[in-house]
Amino acid sequence: MKKILYAFMLALLALPNVSKAQEAAGAVADMWSYPVVYKYDEQVKWYFDLTGTTWNQGDDVYLWIWSPSEPDAGNWNNSSEFAKLTWEHDFVWSFTLTPTTYFNMTPEAIAASAGFWFRLKDDAGTKQSDVANMAYTNFDSFYTANELVRPYPEHPTLDGGLSILFNANLAPGFENATSVHFHSGLNNWAILQEYQAWLPEIVAKTALKNMGNGFWKMDLIPSEYYNGIPDGFVFENITYLFVKDEWAGTIPDQILYAAEVIPPPPPAFKYFPQQISKKDFLGIMRTDNEPGINTLVYTITAGSTEITGSFSGNMAEIKGFVNLPAALQNVNATTIHVHVTDNTDRVLSDVDIPLKTLD
Amino acid sequence: MRIKPFLWLAVLGVFALGCNEQDDGEHVDPITLYEKINGNWGLMSVKMTDEVAKANGITPNEQNLSTYFNYEDFAIRFNVDEEMRPTTYEVSGDVPPLFAPTGYYELSSDFQPTGGNAVRVYLYSDAEHANKTDELRITSVPGSNEEMEIQVVRTSAGTPFVSYTFKLNAID
Repeated sequence: MKKILYAFMLALLALPNVSKAQEAAGAVADMWSYPVVYKYDEQVKWYFDLTGTTWNQGDDVYLWIWSPSEPDAGNWNNSSEFAKLTWEHDFVWSFTLTPTTYFNMTPEAIAASAGFWFRLKDDAGTKQSDVANMAYTNFDSFYTANELVRPYPEHPTLDGGLSILFNANLAPGFENATSVHFHSGLNNWAILQEYQAWLPEIVAKTALKNMGNGFWKMDLIPSEYYNGIPDGFVFENITYLFVKDEWAGTIPDQILYAAEVIPPPPPAFKYFPQQISKKDFLGIMRTDNEPGINTLVYTITAGSTEITGSFSGNMAEIKGFVNLPAALQNVNATTIHVHVTDNTDRVLSDVDIPLKTLD
Repeated sequence: MRIKPFLWLAVLGVFALGCNEQDDGEHVDPITLYEKINGNWGLMSVKMTDEVAKANGITPNEQNLSTYFNYEDFAIRFNVDEEMRPTTYEVSGDVPPLFAPTGYYELSSDFQPTGGNAVRVYLYSDAEHANKTDELRITSVPGSNEEMEIQVVRTSAGTPFVSYTFKLNAID
């Protein structure tokens, strides 16, 4: 009996070694595409955020897709090079494809399929993500909607992709346009990307994609498209108009409002408490600091006595207390002068603080 | 009905418990505050209160100082003589001099007052209690939990503008 028991326990111990388990990498955290909307015969870049999976930054990751078709069929144990993702940054990988080419199918056949169903995997197939679906935004309704323009998404962000559809059939004077250009600016024309028809690279940059039958599409990522966006810029809107050829025609000014941006609270500097004596601690604090601000440097002068020091912290709060009871123990002073700068030498405060006379 | 012997025993036991002689004892003096605060007290926490902000309903009006200025090491000892009368006190730990770190002391009352006023601890630099240096308030008197709260209140023209509240517990 004992022998059988031992044998059973041994078998249990050996189990993990013999069974070569498939490693579950986890779910794809987020997915998006650029352009935001695209036709099946357009080139598109799919993005995969693998934050929270077992993949590390820079790992080789492959696409294993079986719907609408299975281009890398039979190669689970050794993915083809064409199925390899490109590591972009952090935990974001991308895959560039033209669906009709990659799946070797017509746009109609892809449209009639179940959609884009896949897993991500390592080369040898020992590790795989959960099953995932890359959503596709069908914009066919625009062709019959009688709308001059339609943005995707409705309210863009500074760093996210934006597609603007344009129905030139509804724009008087745009008949037989050979090109259409995007003349625009951020925040009521504050930061411009004008259509400068005499500059070839600007002509190309501002050009809309011809979708056929008088339909055009502009794709951009605002933060990359516009030059000279200052730090801390709060994106409110894009003002724009479309231009036919070399200014042969224009549509009325359009405005596209940005997704609601909640601006960060302004920094707040303060002393604590409101009134002090020379036997009290002086608190110096600053909350909601700008990026990169992490130190408060103080110089306190009381008569001929000078007290210097610094406090470090983070964007949320930098805070510290000056030990005035020790520093001013033998100093006769009725007021102190306090000078505070940050780690960029910017003066945050330069004040006289009266010292209360104690009872 | 016949009751089993062990049940009788149980009933007797209950009577026995109820028949304790009442302990009137001899007259004992009530315990003074000196007996309660006698000994060494270590820091649990210390906070600084902006009394001006507090009076005006401005927040935050408190700052926790427990992790600043070595306050982790703060302790204060109150000594008494054989008659339980106050003698000296001393602060240990390398902490800022919010009040004189050593000296003599006396309470404003031997017993906890029934009114709302906190007992004052008068601090002196001399045994004759001629030179008063500082004043503390006992805002929470030691009880069975062996915890005490003392306050240093800064006042100017009678109006408090800052206070420091020390939460202490008895250490051997």
